[in-house]
Amino acid sequence: MSFIGYKDTIGEGDLVLAFLGRDAIKPIVINKEETLNTRFGSFPHAQMIGLKYGTQMASIKGYGFIHLLQPSAELWTLSLPHRTQIVYTPDSSYITQRLGITAGSRVIEAGTGSASFSHALARTVSAEGHLFTYEFHEPRFLEAKKEFEEHGLLGTPVTINHRDVCKDGFEISNYDGDVKATSVFLDLPAPWEAIAHLSQVISQDEKVGICCFSPCIEQVSKTLDALKEYGWTSVQMVEIQARRWEARQQMVRQVDDAVLRLKDVKRRKLEGIERKRRFYAEHGQPRDEDSEQEVEKRKELEKEETKVDRTEFNPFGRGLRIKDGDEAFNWIKVSKTEAEVKSHTSYLTFAFKQATPSSTT
Amino acid sequence: MTFIKRQTTVQYHQFCLIRLPSEGIKIVEIRPQGIVKLGKFGTFAVDQIVGFPYGQSFEILDDNNVRPIQGSLVELEDDEQDDSLKEKIQYLRQLDVESSETNRDLVDIGNATQELTQEEIETLKKTSNGANIGEAIIDKLIKSHVNFSQKTKHSQEKYLRRKQQKFLRRFTVDLLGPSQLLQYFLEKDPTKVLDMSEESMGLLLSLANVQPGGRYLVIDETGGVIVNALLDRMRGSGELLVVHENEHPNHSALKYSNFEPSVIDRMVKTINLLQFFEPEDERVQWNDLSQQEIEEMKSSKKAHYYRRRDNAIQINDAIDNAVKGDFDALIIVSTLYTPTLVKKMIAKVGGSRPIVVYSQYKEPLVETQVESMQNLELLAPTLHETRCRPYQTIIGRLHPLMTMKGGGGYLFHAIRVFPLQEGVQAVGRGIKKRKIDDQQSVDS
Ligand SMILES: C[S@@+](CC[C@H](N)C(=O)[O-])C[C@H]1O[C@@H](n2cnc3c(N)ncnc32)[C@H](O)[C@@H]1O
Repeated sequence: MSFIGYKDTIGEGDLVLAFLGRDAIKPIVINKEETLNTRFGSFPHAQMIGLKYGTQMASIKGYGFIHLLQPSAELWTLSLPHRTQIVYTPDSSYITQRLGITAGSRVIEAGTGSASFSHALARTVSAEGHLFTYEFHEPRFLEAKKEFEEHGLLGTPVTINHRDVCKDGFEISNYDGDVKATSVFLDLPAPWEAIAHLSQVISQDEKVGICCFSPCIEQVSKTLDALKEYGWTSVQMVEIQARRWEARQQMVRQVDDAVLRLKDVKRRKLEGIERKRRFYAEHGQPRDEDSEQEVEKRKELEKEETKVDRTEFNPFGRGLRIKDGDEAFNWIKVSKTEAEVKSHTSYLTFAFKQATPSSTT
Repeated sequence: MTFIKRQTTVQYHQFCLIRLPSEGIKIVEIRPQGIVKLGKFGTFAVDQIVGFPYGQSFEILDDNNVRPIQGSLVELEDDEQDDSLKEKIQYLRQLDVESSETNRDLVDIGNATQELTQEEIETLKKTSNGANIGEAIIDKLIKSHVNFSQKTKHSQEKYLRRKQQKFLRRFTVDLLGPSQLLQYFLEKDPTKVLDMSEESMGLLLSLANVQPGGRYLVIDETGGVIVNALLDRMRGSGELLVVHENEHPNHSALKYSNFEPSVIDRMVKTINLLQFFEPEDERVQWNDLSQQEIEEMKSSKKAHYYRRRDNAIQINDAIDNAVKGDFDALIIVSTLYTPTLVKKMIAKVGGSRPIVVYSQYKEPLVETQVESMQNLELLAPTLHETRCRPYQTIIGRLHPLMTMKGGGGYLFHAIRVFPLQEGVQAVGRGIKKRKIDDQQSVDS
């Protein structure tokens, strides 16, 4: 299995993520007859076999490079084919943590969508747990099912169902035993309709947590009503605000140096004027009767004698090509948020349901 | 398999979390015949809650007895709410005429009318019988509260709820999971957990791809709160090598872990920085004595011999483990200077495996990221921040809470890779090579 467990070397049939750049991660299944063609060149699969995961590989022509990575749920989220909006790692990691999902957990997820969160959930519940995921859109269901199969997740720990959970609920036939879910995640337009069907499939023996993921506050309102109606308590809505920072170096440009530079500019200007004055004192004004040749010669001479040497004083490296961090200068390390910040993904409504006492006494 | 399922019911010899109506939390050990004192909320016998599922709420009765109740502590709207209290709320709702639509008319005439004196509360506590004390106080409060009917209905409810939370003798018992242990320390002493928020902890565990069976290299300055969180996701299989900077690791928080000491001993190996970085000088030279020599020893000496032998084996095993390297993740939660720390530890991380560093402050991680951009063994260095913004979750009155917890920390993440050639910038080299290639094709 590629998402659960670890592997050291690349083998035939492995799913490998070819990292071309942060926004260009290409999933490939190793087939020794095939070649990966990218804007960085061509990379024959046959040459990948036997390499360690994490290896940087050169293209056939040697001028392009990619990294060969082992898939993880988080990398998959960055590289998967989008069929829908997806849940990203800052949200999925928080939901997992807050619902206390871990190895052995039994989780209901609807809808499957692009199966971004499904992969992270499958990894976390691991072979000891189970993920029941539902999708009513048939092509998406089929795509997701194929993915789970290719990724070695179908059956253990994932069961996927083609089902409208709002209309037909969560009870399933393609799984041997009871669902007995210990956590529920709903990412669909009308979670309040699905909430009504949960009592048949959630565990009665332990506290069960739910998270509903909705972009609009109106959806949250309806969800709150439904949660209350069906006996969920400790309800809280939150929002995850995540950002990535980009680090850089900024040159330390001291004000004193800027003042010194101005002084230097001024000194050179004055020196130029003084030299001009001296030149004219020595050679007098140009005369009208001078021949063209003599005028040229005098011009050359004036240029020569009044020239002020280029200054050595260049505290900020003006006009030079300076790389960030150049040791001849001082630098501070700074950061700013990335160019585009996702400021709202969805509202996360959490609630919990107590175990039913009858089964405990 | 060594899989250890997470506990779902209260069991002896476990630690659990007690939530109070005041929103206070307390860690309690479930010891046979133990008595738990909850201050003004009362006392109860631990045996009475054993076997109940986590999440169960109780009301404290007299003589250390408890009665399980439905619903949670603080939700007034709960259907299972005490009838008398529900009636009072109902009554309030009918008071709509009297309660002013807005707070406009509300004149604050000082604390005196709004609160009972501590003395009055004490007398009430003595005169009313245990279980009803909360409500007795609420009644008294309503009576003594001059402004009460002038408040809007919503704030009256809020007021009642506040009072109820303060005085009702109820509590909920919850699992002491990694999030709860973190929360406990965040409230008690946030510096102990380097101010890490629950969302940062969750993101760390995901970015580090933590799962059963993994071998993780860890530096944890939270006293074991992170180690416990890792163990919770691994549930019995896998291994942690924890590197620490003192002679002995500080794992004081692990005493609250719900894993048995034998499981922790099996899964968590420790090694100090000196042993980690200079393993060959730090190996303990050890030769077993012969069976005969051991038998001739006095029993005190024999015990000493076995202790030293265990210690040597443990240290040498940890050193072997460190030398072997190829860890499935490097997880650093530390105040050591991270740019150099990461650089020195990369070699021990397996290919394509994540490196995740937490810091309370952004600056060390900014420096780590700048350094990483030069380091060809680190792919896609990224600095993450995540913050959970809570909302007032009352139907029809949804809005962000006026205040939220500050801080919460930052995370650095990168992937360990093997560059083709040390010290060569792939892109630069690529361009140069391409030029030559182009020339060649022109020439020929
Ligand atoms: C936003 S997507 C889910 C994305 C997913 N969480 C991920 O991370 O990739 C919502 C999905 O729910 C499905 N859906 C909507 N209503 C449904 C229903 N009643 N039953 C089952 N699936 C439903 C849609 O077809 C869609 O694929």
